[in-house]
Amino acid sequence: MRSRIRIQLAIAAGAMALFWTASPASAHHAFAAEFDINRPIKLRGTVTKMDWINPHSWIHIDVKGPDGNVTNWMIEGGSPNVLLRLGFSKDALPAGSEIVMEGYQAKDGSNRGVGRVLTFADGRKLFLGSSAPGANGEPDK
Amino acid sequence: MTFKTSGIRIGLVAQCGWSRRIAIACAALAAIAPAISQPAAQTPAYRAPRTSDGKPNLNGIWQVLNTANWDIQGHAAAPGPMLPLGAIGAVPPGLSVVEGGEIPYLPAAAAKKKENFANRLTLDPEVKCYLPGVPRATYMPYPFQIVQSQKRIMISYQYASATRIINMENPKKAPIDSWMGWSNGHWEGDTLVVDVTGLNDETWFDRAGDFHSDALHVVERYTPRSPDSMRYEATIEDPKVFSRPWKMSMLLYRHAEDNAQLLEFKCVEFVEELMYGHLRKKSSQ
Amino acid sequence: MIRRSLTSSFFVPSAIAVAWLTMPLAFGQAPSAVAAKTAPAPKPWTLPHLPDGHPDFEGVWTNASVTPLERPKELGAKEFYTPEEAAEHDKHELEDRTSWDRLGNQATVHYDMSQFGLDVSKVKVALSRRTSLIIGPDGRVPPLTPEARQRLADRAAKQRGHEFDSYENRPLQERCIVWANEGPPMLPAAYNSNLQIVQGDGYVGILQEIIHDARMIPTDGRPHLDSGIRQWMGDSRGHWEGDTLVVDTTNFTSRTAFRGSTETLHVVERFTRVSDDTILYEFTVDDPATWTRPWTAQLPLVKVDAPIFEYACHEGNLGMPNTLSGARAADKAAAEKAAQKDAK
Repeated sequence: MRSRIRIQLAIAAGAMALFWTASPASAHHAFAAEFDINRPIKLRGTVTKMDWINPHSWIHIDVKGPDGNVTNWMIEGGSPNVLLRLGFSKDALPAGSEIVMEGYQAKDGSNRGVGRVLTFADGRKLFLGSSAPGANGEPDK
Repeated sequence: MTFKTSGIRIGLVAQCGWSRRIAIACAALAAIAPAISQPAAQTPAYRAPRTSDGKPNLNGIWQVLNTANWDIQGHAAAPGPMLPLGAIGAVPPGLSVVEGGEIPYLPAAAAKKKENFANRLTLDPEVKCYLPGVPRATYMPYPFQIVQSQKRIMISYQYASATRIINMENPKKAPIDSWMGWSNGHWEGDTLVVDVTGLNDETWFDRAGDFHSDALHVVERYTPRSPDSMRYEATIEDPKVFSRPWKMSMLLYRHAEDNAQLLEFKCVEFVEELMYGHLRKKSSQ
Repeated sequence: MIRRSLTSSFFVPSAIAVAWLTMPLAFGQAPSAVAAKTAPAPKPWTLPHLPDGHPDFEGVWTNASVTPLERPKELGAKEFYTPEEAAEHDKHELEDRTSWDRLGNQATVHYDMSQFGLDVSKVKVALSRRTSLIIGPDGRVPPLTPEARQRLADRAAKQRGHEFDSYENRPLQERCIVWANEGPPMLPAAYNSNLQIVQGDGYVGILQEIIHDARMIPTDGRPHLDSGIRQWMGDSRGHWEGDTLVVDTTNFTSRTAFRGSTETLHVVERFTRVSDDTILYEFTVDDPATWTRPWTAQLPLVKVDAPIFEYACHEGNLGMPNTLSGARAADKAAAEKAAQKDAK
């Protein structure tokens, strides 16, 4: 299944596993428990929706395999609050956007992953670099 | 004024009971009584104490004395969804807080409400200790506290540490949908009017499955009516679910006991077994 | 790579949009000692008051910080950096390191914090010339009592090997019950390190963005709750000492465990507004069952021109079921592997 949807499965360097010995005091949860360092993935897909929720945002994407079958993936990102403070709104990542996600798959093997780096199909980084016109909240009319 | 008006009318009706012979005259009197008291109706009967900046002072700890959280519509006592709890879990009866009594659901929405009711034990967000949304937060069986200043009003609800900040300055647009929504407020006379948008579609109105969509727009009105009570009204507008706007109305009472304070009700730890118990390691059970 | 993307983005100026605290301030002296980095001579400043006569603490404030709680050992008794050293330290923290570096692990392998604007270099930071938040020549949390050492060792031993057995074994913030920095005492968070203060009649309300907990602090002189009522965030009582708000908190649960503390934890916080943009926040914590002596820290709260956004932690906590189901999948794989081994 994973090969069908063209996930690039790389063998992680043994040393990298050392990163996951403890959960940091201030991140919401332990990466190691939820995601698998030995299952790096790279997905290209079309955004179906973004959940602007805490503690982590989740981006849903449809990924098409070489055989034409489409699989829906859920990708974890950071807390959305800072994006809101910088003036982003729920229109910042509309459905239909094409994005590329590099990250790691869930440990239980489901179609979930954490998006280490998320880019638009043209290579621009998602979210990063946009201006922040309404950082203090948009005036109502 | 309401008091005064009804006082007059009650007096008349009582006198009428004395004699059948003057019943007709009495009926006529009763009929004109509202007309007589009309001028009085325009004078505010109650003027709330003021804060140091001259606004009605709503500071305090408040709570409803009704069973709207079970069902905002009128309901007789009934067994609760958890039979092992017996009388502890039974549904207490209550009058409707919906003006006119009926919620104007669109046909498909009426069917969904029924389905929600049938599955309320698993679907009601309160079961999972989720944030209650507006207006449900107001009439849950827990107190809430208003801390009022000039530029903003903070409302802290005991249930699940839910909190709202009401912006009293230039209205700002909701950046995103959230559980407790986005509140802009202003004063209309002695009434605090709060416009709430940006509410998500995850919350319910009550334990009976009454629901809304993410198109929900709530306008709340808080009007002091005595030192220790105020009227709470919420106009509900949601064209995806209701055929017309409708309104709830109820009273809020002050916790006037000495040293009243909100205590923590962090219910997350009470629902974890329910939500995550099936993922417990087998050998550790 | 992250550094490159950062410097090429518009965020850099905001990283420098910071408040500078000078040394005299740290000793609680005149507010005029506070100056913006590029501002000319400090203007005379008067403390704003609310109509009720109390100092005005209202607004949204951040305690985002690049100052460690404990002083790095190599600095010895050095409590303050010189302005030049401070500038160099802050530049290094904000430009050369990511939040993951500061957290000491996880590096860039999790999602890219700067991409989501979560890195402290992307937000307003309350800078200080202090070398550590903890004040005094030592600059470190005092040693644990022998009793506390034993208690923590027992707890760790009990937990070892069972970290992912169930939700009960996960940290409180992963369970969305209380966040580690919420306090009291309130410490900087890795991100969304914001709080809002609202002052009403006889109450000060403090709302912390993570995780939407509002502390309602009465200032009417009432006594603490009776000792039978224990709360995750304790029971706070405020009073005014001149223009300083003093908040005394007791009645913690034994599970609150602020750095290993017990239910005898006692926290005293002091809020003093020292400029338009800055509140000086100081706290002293004491728990005779945990530390050999009380300790005190001091950090600035800097005004932020943005609202607080809802941080509904429990409602969106997909991480908890995902983590536990990941652990159960690992259990299953291990059991299968063991069974295969047995079969051979």
